[in-house]
Amino acid sequence: MENFASLLHGFGVALSTYHVALMMIGVLLGILVGVLPGLGAPNGVSLLLPLTFTMDPVAAIILLTSMYWGALFGGSTTSILFNIPGEPSSVATTFDGYPMARQGQATQALTLAFLSAGFGALVGVILITVLSTWVAKFALRFSSPEYFAVYFLAFASFIGLGAASPFKTVVSMGLGFAFAAVGMDTVSGGLRLTYGFNELLSGISFLIAVIGLFGIGELMLTMEEGLRFDGIRARVKVRDVLKTIATLPRYWVTLLRSSAIGCWMGITPGGPTAASFMSYGIAKRLSRRKDNFGQGEPEGVVAPETADHAAGSSAILPMLALGVPGSATAAVMMGGLMIWGLNPGPMLFIERPDFVWGLIASMYLGNIVAVLMVLATIPLFASILRIPFAIIGPVIVVVCFVGAYTVAGRPFDLWLALAFGIVGYLFKKLDYPIAPLVLAMVLGDKAEDAFRQSMIMSRGSLSIFWSNGLVTTLMLIGLALALGPVLSTLVGRMRPKASSAVA
Amino acid sequence: MISRFAAEIGTATLTAGLGLAAVVGALEFGIGWGDAGPEPGAFPFYIGLLVIAASMGTLIQTTVGRHGLQSVFIHREEAKRVASFFLPMLAFVIVARLLGLYVATALYISFVMWAQGKYRLVISVASGIAAAIAFYLVLEVAFQVPLLKGPLEAALGLY
Repeated sequence: MENFASLLHGFGVALSTYHVALMMIGVLLGILVGVLPGLGAPNGVSLLLPLTFTMDPVAAIILLTSMYWGALFGGSTTSILFNIPGEPSSVATTFDGYPMARQGQATQALTLAFLSAGFGALVGVILITVLSTWVAKFALRFSSPEYFAVYFLAFASFIGLGAASPFKTVVSMGLGFAFAAVGMDTVSGGLRLTYGFNELLSGISFLIAVIGLFGIGELMLTMEEGLRFDGIRARVKVRDVLKTIATLPRYWVTLLRSSAIGCWMGITPGGPTAASFMSYGIAKRLSRRKDNFGQGEPEGVVAPETADHAAGSSAILPMLALGVPGSATAAVMMGGLMIWGLNPGPMLFIERPDFVWGLIASMYLGNIVAVLMVLATIPLFASILRIPFAIIGPVIVVVCFVGAYTVAGRPFDLWLALAFGIVGYLFKKLDYPIAPLVLAMVLGDKAEDAFRQSMIMSRGSLSIFWSNGLVTTLMLIGLALALGPVLSTLVGRMRPKASSAVA
Repeated sequence: MISRFAAEIGTATLTAGLGLAAVVGALEFGIGWGDAGPEPGAFPFYIGLLVIAASMGTLIQTTVGRHGLQSVFIHREEAKRVASFFLPMLAFVIVARLLGLYVATALYISFVMWAQGKYRLVISVASGIAAAIAFYLVLEVAFQVPLLKGPLEAALGLY
């Protein structure tokens, strides 16, 4: 009940005209970046972040999280109307959403997508409300070795649960740590890895990396595929919307199951993309109308959308309570919190309860605002995609570079953004995962500090990582996840040989 | 036309090179045990080794599974499209360094609209200048965030 009182207090913080206005602006900007190719939630938040440095942290985080919700909705819109996922996490929505729209059921598909997304997000936020204090209290017992173990676990789960080659995941993650190490060493205060370049003295900002990797890299990929929009004209009719709302309870099993999958993948760093695919796959396997999947089955829209948004919102929980973000966008927001001088983790709940609960309350309000606004403005945003790419493309490029420059006002960052763009293009084409790189860049200093402090505590002995039950458990789960793919390939290699020997 | 195999090898070599750079850079700052625990270079050193090892893993995996990777990484047509996007963008960055972001924005948008969008020159240039002014109003006036400026802004006294 303690949480409930705090939440009510949080509503008191979040429910002001100024904050609600910020939510609406955030959602609109979010839908815009979600709809535009090459811009998405992570780099949308990165681009907006430098403009919020002078704002009050509560107002700033409300703006950024609202943008996040808006971007998730915008991503689903283009999936359904244009068969172009605006976000990687809405790829699974194209499977049934686009066929539905082609059959003239665009309004139904959009309404179902937005409502189930809103439902998923709500479940995620309720989970945060219930669990966050408990997780934060638990995490108060953590000292450096436990923190290092939690970081290790987070990165190990990328290796174990990600779809990409484990080697590529490790490369991406390692490069992120290496980039984070450039510049000032937070423990000794000395400079390192600058190779004599003055431009590298202040380090490489993760915001530049996100803008390059996600923004410019994504645009290059879009250009290569040759852009063409075969959009479906959608006029959202109020009667159809109401009719569709009435059908929603029919999908309650799918809604609950997908929310559970989403919350789990959001808290562990599986992320929204993995959650939506997994949820779609399971819904298809368990559905009675299996054969309709891929041809415009409403359940095929409900399942990925619910999981996507449940994961998107619950990814905020580990970020707030542990300081370990569950998705690339959460990582960017956490970087933002650190820039504002807030230290995500259990102490934040004690030092800045107004901030934490204001944020959580704003997530309830923000999602409701987002569902209403997205239903009202979709025709407008869909028409943006009809502007020729020769106009919209260069504008997006300029926005990316202007955003990169505003991070620190350094001309050198323009080159860095371009370089990260090329890397992002190569990585995407060759199936290197990008989220681990971003997470490693944000967490790099913290993970290294935790490691070095643990080493100081133990006088250089690695045995500190199995010195008590808690840290041992965390490390063991981490090791199991990290080595999982290696073991399964080994077992997989042995098996066919064994069977061929028998045959 | 580049094969997927060549692209994989190239990228893995690049990442191994970056790992090596981290290792070499870290050696300069000490990788052992100092007065205050591990020296500053220790963490980057091992991270660099990890990146090299994982890149080697990808190289080996690629070489072993070579026939599976004969697919095309990029066609001539696709490469042309990427180049037609990338080269103006590269020019944009160079011009931005010399003449400031606003002038570069106006030139870049005008050029792409005129050369690739096949708009009339007048319309393209007008749109480019309009976009630059819009950016100026949003950033410098509304948010008071200064952008990189060049000789033109100095001549106009916009500081």
